[in-house]
Amino acid sequence: MEAIRNTLDFSDFPKTDLGVALAVLVFLFCFPLFPHSAFAMATMIQFFIFSLYGMGWNTIGGYGGQVDLGKAQYVGIGAYTTMVCLLRWDIPFWVSMPVGACLSICWSFIIGYPLFKLKGHYFAIATIATSLVLKDLFEVWKFVGAARGLGILPYKYHPPDYWRLIFKEDIYYYYIIFAFFIVGLLYMNWFRKSRLGYQLRSIKDNEEVARSLGINVHWAKIKTYAIATAFVSIVGSFHAVYIKNIEPEDTMSLDISILIALMAMLGGAGSLWGPVIGAGVLIPLKSYLKEWLGASAGLLGIDLIIYGLIIMIISAFEPRGLWGIVEKYRRRRRK
Amino acid sequence: MALLEVHNLVKAFGGLNANDDVSFVIEKGELLGLIGPNGAGKTTCFNCIAGMFPPTSGRIVFDGEDVTGLPAHEMARRGLARTFQVYTAGGDLTVGENVLVGCFMHTRSRSSARSKADGILEQMGLKEFRNQLVSELPVAAQKRVTMATALGTDPKLLLLDEVAAGLNPSEIEATMAGIRRINAEHGVTVMLIEHVMELVMNISHRVIVLDYGRKIAEGCPKDIVRDPQVIKAYLGERYVREHATEFGGSAIP
Repeated sequence: MEAIRNTLDFSDFPKTDLGVALAVLVFLFCFPLFPHSAFAMATMIQFFIFSLYGMGWNTIGGYGGQVDLGKAQYVGIGAYTTMVCLLRWDIPFWVSMPVGACLSICWSFIIGYPLFKLKGHYFAIATIATSLVLKDLFEVWKFVGAARGLGILPYKYHPPDYWRLIFKEDIYYYYIIFAFFIVGLLYMNWFRKSRLGYQLRSIKDNEEVARSLGINVHWAKIKTYAIATAFVSIVGSFHAVYIKNIEPEDTMSLDISILIALMAMLGGAGSLWGPVIGAGVLIPLKSYLKEWLGASAGLLGIDLIIYGLIIMIISAFEPRGLWGIVEKYRRRRRK
Repeated sequence: MALLEVHNLVKAFGGLNANDDVSFVIEKGELLGLIGPNGAGKTTCFNCIAGMFPPTSGRIVFDGEDVTGLPAHEMARRGLARTFQVYTAGGDLTVGENVLVGCFMHTRSRSSARSKADGILEQMGLKEFRNQLVSELPVAAQKRVTMATALGTDPKLLLLDEVAAGLNPSEIEATMAGIRRINAEHGVTVMLIEHVMELVMNISHRVIVLDYGRKIAEGCPKDIVRDPQVIKAYLGERYVREHATEFGGSAIP
């Protein structure tokens, strides 16, 4: 009972926050009912996917302060588990998704133990390395389609297939990922004020102090890393059935890892709304910039330049991201 | 009964013995002062006891159990809490949240951790600051936050590292009362490192003096201030001339 109450307890946010959040949720819920382009729909689904990745990252990266740049490997494990299960044994999504999450968690424990002996930049680099190594392995592994990857042929199934999550129209995917999004948000709301949540913030603040307060720092980080991993892996599974075509270069690339971390940091690492704000800003920017500038003017890559600029500006002025700016402003006004 | 026994503690950093064959005992309920010049190895001694790093040699027995080399979080679970000399307050935890982290050590339940934290905040006079960042507080309040956070873990032994440094006389007075209350009312055994002699000599039941990593004296405050070795190494002639009478002794000729 207490757990449910804690999950639904948003009482420490100001009323304006909750009002805005509610308005956004209503908008998101109604969005498919208004006329929209297929491109806008795809962008919205990307937004949900990446805000969920960001939420997962936020546990270890935001609250725990461990800059993890290797989340793509768990996108890959989740996506490949679901894909392989479906194509080889016709195992539906709702079974393969938890299996993928379990595999991801196992892998996260195996590499998490040595990874968290490292700190700061060394940790970040090591996460990149593990992710790239796994990607390279998948690129030569015939069983999972090697470099060409795997693809679902939709005509083999009978959409709408709720078991395997094969649909013709994006609106189905939209509402399914929307439900995931709500669950993710509620979980994060529970997490941020849980014992582990506070312990992580204490670790981020000062590890020595954290240890003196009875926190097993190494284990707390590994546990949180597993939680982040589960998040990413589950959404990775969804990503696979939605995109229907996965290959290591795409699903597990360094770009994905960096984008995940970047969004959470841009929005505000270590806050509930941060990853959502970050995804809300970056994903539309990314897709529309590419659409408008990249393809038409032959300026491929200008979106990357603009991103880079945003990152530089944010990290120079407010390292705690967009939400950090809001909080700073509020703090000043209270005084 | 002894709560903490330290036997022949040695901690070497390279060729330097920061603690050299230090032995002492803390009785349950005692208030023990640890003094000595800068670099005498006081904080190193704390760090060894608290498990921040393992001693090079020697044995530490806490509450009847050999705890030599146990990591810090295990020591905390066994009832040892400490404060830090330099409290980094750059984090984004508020005062209330800081105290809450300590209170979460023995429970997973948020409501019980929270009510315990409320009690400690009230008792340490920090209630008005609860929603502020530690860095926004005056130094005296920051020091109280470190003590409050440590108290949240329900310690049997509390190690205080220079909690009176940088405070003005009236704040020192208040800190003194606070430490006494923790010791007497809550039955927490206290060991403190302090350079503010007024505080150490007034509240300690017993004082240990370190110099160059070695224990050079041990005894009740009024004997310590007259110990020629301590005067030479640390206190200085002037201090003793001005203060010796306060401790019931006559001024040294």
